[in-house]
Amino acid sequence: MTVLDTTNRVVVWATMMQRMSDGRESTALTKAQLRAAVDAIDDWVEANAAAFNSAIPQPARGALTTAQKARLLMLIAEQRYGVG
Amino acid sequence: MATRFVWTPQSVDLVRSAAAQLTVVNGIPVLAFDASADEICDLPGVAPQGLTGTLTLVVFGFMASATSGTVGMGAAVEAITPGDAVDRDTTTAFGAINYATSATVPGTAGYEFATSITLTVSGSLAAGDDFRIEARRDADGTGSTDSATGDWYVTRFELRDAA
Repeated sequence: MTVLDTTNRVVVWATMMQRMSDGRESTALTKAQLRAAVDAIDDWVEANAAAFNSAIPQPARGALTTAQKARLLMLIAEQRYGVG
Repeated sequence: MATRFVWTPQSVDLVRSAAAQLTVVNGIPVLAFDASADEICDLPGVAPQGLTGTLTLVVFGFMASATSGTVGMGAAVEAITPGDAVDRDTTTAFGAINYATSATVPGTAGYEFATSITLTVSGSLAAGDDFRIEARRDADGTGSTDSATGDWYVTRFELRDAA
């Protein structure tokens, strides 16, 4: 898989700003700074995707789809850090 | 300057495909202008008798989350005099977009601030004209710098003239 294209990175960026607005979460970040974080995290996900997959034990690694693995990662992150 | 019109969020026209969203924040009706793409509302009216001089649009509001950066606003005016050769079924007659000097947002989200746009009208805006002001957040930075994250909650628009 490759990194998200510009259109999809914009979707993530816009969604994040909307959720911060809806939650009245104060931030000193500018739009450009937040966008840089989106790009960097997407790059990191791409760079570490293979390691993430290798960390999943069998048979789950073979039985789960890529989308299911991503969903599991998201659920764990939400449970660890809270939904925000 | 004299106040000629005041628009609340409920009194604007939200008819564009990329319209600002009418919502309620802390019991206050506001227009939520996104940060990621330009959104628009139309301010309709009939130009009052005695309208004179330079027109200024003042926009009041507060940020949902941003505590730094700037917001940009643009406005274009359409003025129709009865008898004008404008087919309103199919065409519009907005002039060029006028951009405000980018406004620095307060250091605390939720604090009210205002920004002003000096309006130039293609032709003129005469008393009795049917007019619309197309007001937009310049989220894509076409004519100003809009760097503040998150929604800008607009509470009022005020039109002033030189009287």
